[in-house]
Amino acid sequence: MKKKTSQGTNAAVAVPYKKRSSLFKSLWNSRTLMLMCLPAIIFFIVFNYCPLPGIWIAFTNYNFRGGIFGSPFCGLDNFEFLINSGELWLLTRNTILYNLAFIVLGNIFQIVIALMLNEIRNKWFKKVSQTVMFLPYFISVVLIGAIAFNILNYDTGALNTLIRETGGDPLQIYSQAGIWPFIIFFCNMWQQTGYGSVVYFAAICGIDSSMVEAAEVDGATSWQRIRHIILPSLKGTFIILLLFALGGIMRGNFGLFWNLTGGVNSQLFETTDIIETFVYRTMTTQNNFSTSSAVGLYQSLFGFVLVMISNWVVKRIDPDYALF
Amino acid sequence: MNKNKIKLDPSTKLLKIISYAVVTLWSVICIFPFVLVISASFSTESIISREGFGLLPKGFTLSAYEWVFRYPKMILGSYGVTIAMTVLGTALGLFIIAMTGYALQRKDFPLRNVISFFIYFTTLFSAGMVPTYLWVSGTLGLKGSYLAVFLQLLMSPWLIVLMKNFAKSVPYEITESGKIDGAGDFRIFLSLIFPMLKPALATVGLFLALGYWNEWYQSSLYLGSSVTYKPLQYYLYGIINQANALKSSVAGANVTITDLPTNTLKMATAVVATGPIIFLYPFVQKYFISGITVGAVKG
Amino acid sequence: MRKTNTRKRAIALVMASMMAMSLAGCGGGNDDANKGSSSNSGSTATSTSTSTGGEIDTSSHEVINMLVLGNRPTNGRLEAMLEQLNAILNEKVNAELEYTYVEWTDWQTQYNLQLLSGDTSLDLICTATDWLYGWENVIKGAFMPLTEDMLQTYAPNTYAQVTEDDDWEICKYDGDIYFIPEDNYIQYTNHGMFYRGDWAAEAGIPDGTITEFEQLTTYFQWIKDNQPDCIPWDVPGKNNTAGILGGYLTSKTDYTLFNGVGVGNYTDFWGVMQSDPGTVVSPYMESDALYDAAELMKEWNDMGVWREDVLNFDGDSREEMYAGTSGADQHHAQTYYSSIVPNMEAKQPGSDPKFYYWGMENQNVAHPLKLHQACAISANSQHPERALMVYDLLRTDEECYRLLNYGIEGEDYVVTDDGKLARPDGWDQSTDALDSNFWLGRNDDLELQDSTWWDGTQDFIANLNSIGYDYPFENFIIDTASIESKQAALANVLSKYIPQLAYGKFDDPRAAIDDMREELKAAGYDEVKASIQEDLDAFVAEHGEVQFVRGE
Repeated sequence: MKKKTSQGTNAAVAVPYKKRSSLFKSLWNSRTLMLMCLPAIIFFIVFNYCPLPGIWIAFTNYNFRGGIFGSPFCGLDNFEFLINSGELWLLTRNTILYNLAFIVLGNIFQIVIALMLNEIRNKWFKKVSQTVMFLPYFISVVLIGAIAFNILNYDTGALNTLIRETGGDPLQIYSQAGIWPFIIFFCNMWQQTGYGSVVYFAAICGIDSSMVEAAEVDGATSWQRIRHIILPSLKGTFIILLLFALGGIMRGNFGLFWNLTGGVNSQLFETTDIIETFVYRTMTTQNNFSTSSAVGLYQSLFGFVLVMISNWVVKRIDPDYALF
Repeated sequence: MNKNKIKLDPSTKLLKIISYAVVTLWSVICIFPFVLVISASFSTESIISREGFGLLPKGFTLSAYEWVFRYPKMILGSYGVTIAMTVLGTALGLFIIAMTGYALQRKDFPLRNVISFFIYFTTLFSAGMVPTYLWVSGTLGLKGSYLAVFLQLLMSPWLIVLMKNFAKSVPYEITESGKIDGAGDFRIFLSLIFPMLKPALATVGLFLALGYWNEWYQSSLYLGSSVTYKPLQYYLYGIINQANALKSSVAGANVTITDLPTNTLKMATAVVATGPIIFLYPFVQKYFISGITVGAVKG
Repeated sequence: MRKTNTRKRAIALVMASMMAMSLAGCGGGNDDANKGSSSNSGSTATSTSTSTGGEIDTSSHEVINMLVLGNRPTNGRLEAMLEQLNAILNEKVNAELEYTYVEWTDWQTQYNLQLLSGDTSLDLICTATDWLYGWENVIKGAFMPLTEDMLQTYAPNTYAQVTEDDDWEICKYDGDIYFIPEDNYIQYTNHGMFYRGDWAAEAGIPDGTITEFEQLTTYFQWIKDNQPDCIPWDVPGKNNTAGILGGYLTSKTDYTLFNGVGVGNYTDFWGVMQSDPGTVVSPYMESDALYDAAELMKEWNDMGVWREDVLNFDGDSREEMYAGTSGADQHHAQTYYSSIVPNMEAKQPGSDPKFYYWGMENQNVAHPLKLHQACAISANSQHPERALMVYDLLRTDEECYRLLNYGIEGEDYVVTDDGKLARPDGWDQSTDALDSNFWLGRNDDLELQDSTWWDGTQDFIANLNSIGYDYPFENFIIDTASIESKQAALANVLSKYIPQLAYGKFDDPRAAIDDMREELKAAGYDEVKASIQEDLDAFVAEHGEVQFVRGE
């Protein structure tokens, strides 16, 4: 405490100009807050900003002798294959549509589950169901692919076995591109809902309980409580999640798509191929570090522009919810 | 009295019934494949590759588990490494994230937007695998060190922003009351705010712990074969992938393949990897209590 | 209001300049590190080339680090072996050997990252021109050029043997030697189909021996009709998307592929016809045999040779063959004589396992590649001379060789009375394996014949030796960098068509092939072909007309 005041006066002496002094003064007054942010700032400088100049690799023909900055510059050659493939539109469309579905519908479902969990008063039931809903998150995508195959495949799949036993015609799921968007969406929900709803559930728990109590005293029904108290208070969380997800809208969950569709079954490409799976498949035997960096840059730029615009819009409407 | 009234309200009752039904249904959907996994892990490889999985083991055998636990010392060591990293990483990461998140939502902190952007920016642009690898393993010299994995998972922009958002819901009056008492910002954070953030700490802590528990990617880049005890998921990932890599003819290498139970092995690793962490959730869950009331602050 | 704005701007400026400084600082460091390592490697290389003749100075103790592929063993056998081996190495050349494993988990990425990291501790590196990007890594500067002087001085025994076999020429790029080839080790990795002789005989195939591709149809049909619990060939199409189209092309045409210029997953796309060895061609584009192959595969698919969802199946047809639930399995010769025969004889007695290899009917079989594996010295090695000395001992000194490859005699292996390799009682491959994976220079002069392998192995190899030809493109180096993006475009087209052609999923395979060829053309087939043709012309100009020399 003593230290603080003595240093405070020193700083004031050192900065004679009024305008500056107010700037530095407010900075000085928040120095503890700055120090509190310092570990995180150092972390991001060391692990995220320092390697960033290496993005240059996307414009080089990399070799071991020259390293990132000594390898020959090759302009946009590394981007060429993506553009020349003629698939760029299809890949971009698939990637964005899937992500939009995951973001919008996925979040809505997570909110619904969180709300319902909040309605449940039986502690034992609540605990067990929440734990159970968390299980899928632990199963690696390799296994999800294996499980899906074991349920859906034509010859031995559980689904087709059931259909055969009931006298129906078995389904050839692995050669019908049309149903895969639903399967992929479902699997993504299956894996993410338990995990994602925790955020909303915690947000509901964070709501000022006096408000809820007051509403109860006023005789509000559960529906009214949800509409007028809970949902509005989840808005902030939802928007932040949305803005975060938008930054990655051009990035797909490679593991999920690759493992579910098998990655090589070209009968399904039309509706299941995304940028990541395409790059992996076509570049797999090429010992090339630059191309993947180039693709990453394309995805980053797209996400960056999208986020800057959405953040600007959000800030216009309600600055409280903006990310920065 | 009030409670009784609410219970009698038909729409509320309906909502409760729907809630129980939907949650039950979704729980069943979530657990069903897991039952398949467990039963497959106890099945005989050749039978399930012919007939597919079932709800009960087909040709009961422990051979997949024998493979997983072939070197008990290795898997116990892996558990040790992962548990140590998870506990330490979650504790340290949670503290830093909470501190940063709290500072960034303070309206009287002039740098809050600048720093927020500084942190958020890293999610948009990353250097990519190769430059990051060269930097961390070469310049920082962390190749082959657990630190490379431990440090990189310590925090993420997403968790900081999440924490910041949670901290917003703590009424500013609390900070103010601390100030009136003459406490510094750090003191206010530590003794007043930190205890109020329980649901947030539970959420972020859970995510951090899961991040450490599920981690295999950074380990594969920075640890490779250079440590004796690999983090658990990487060790198991290795078992799964070894089976895949050796079985596929892609590797032109001549590798003598022993009898690996491929499919059942994958399933057994899933059971082994998931088992212990399942118990974490109920433990964390008790912090999800609606707690913050303005009244409590004033009183 | 304005005040706060300018303040914000000022702060942002400060932050921005801080960021910029930190970036510049970090970037600079990165750059220096790279330059440092590259200039470093240059100087060591020159210093070694001048220090020839005279007594070799081994006064300082060095640790030689060897990069191999494989899973690091955890049973302690490797360490026990290394202790004994290092005692010898220490005494003879004042050095010790250390292992770095690139594990099978994501090995392609891992291998390249190991080279990428510019690690100065690596010395000996396992490489290969067909499956470990050998020439590409030479071009990218990952390996140290070796002079004949250097090899003669520090690895005299190896030098003598390779010189005797006249194999240095195939290891050169721009006049410098980059690889020490594993050229004195016979390992046939030509692919084909394993099947059961007993069933083939019952199917009415003469002598129960398949000698033509079409007989496979007869064999599969018989299984379909007579073995209800057995899928004729339960192939995991997910891991093998090209199926056996390539095998068909090999067996029906005189096609020879180029290594190291794979198009996506399809590594046999580019090559030449032996009748016209100066002209680059792709049978996938230009041969009519592809129509026949695709139609045969459609016939097989309709027959039910594999399961309906073959392209998503990643099971293990070999295990299934052992268990009697798959009638065939596809892999290479060494798998046949080292695993298939002993396993089938034990698990399916009387099954008479046989091997129909691609090119059997038209004798289109190449001798093993000499650069299927090789040793290279890391460009960043701090003591390449000592590394060569250690390598020479490992490859040519009997005591070191046996220790390294088989372990400690009596504990890890025993030698039978007739001089073959056997294992002590109670030894179990799955828990006691040494896994030293010295694929950098195995040596048939010191190899022990494995007593568990098929007895007919030697005759089988002798037969292949007599009908095979020497692969003439060992040191044909293709400039892959300039065709990369076009190759990726071709790969995209292939990945759409080939899996469905290979497993007969198109209703009209002919029309599908025509579509595919049109798309390949549009994706730049001709440009890539012209570029490779240029490389081939240069290769011919330098080394003379390409010839296929048959026999031993």
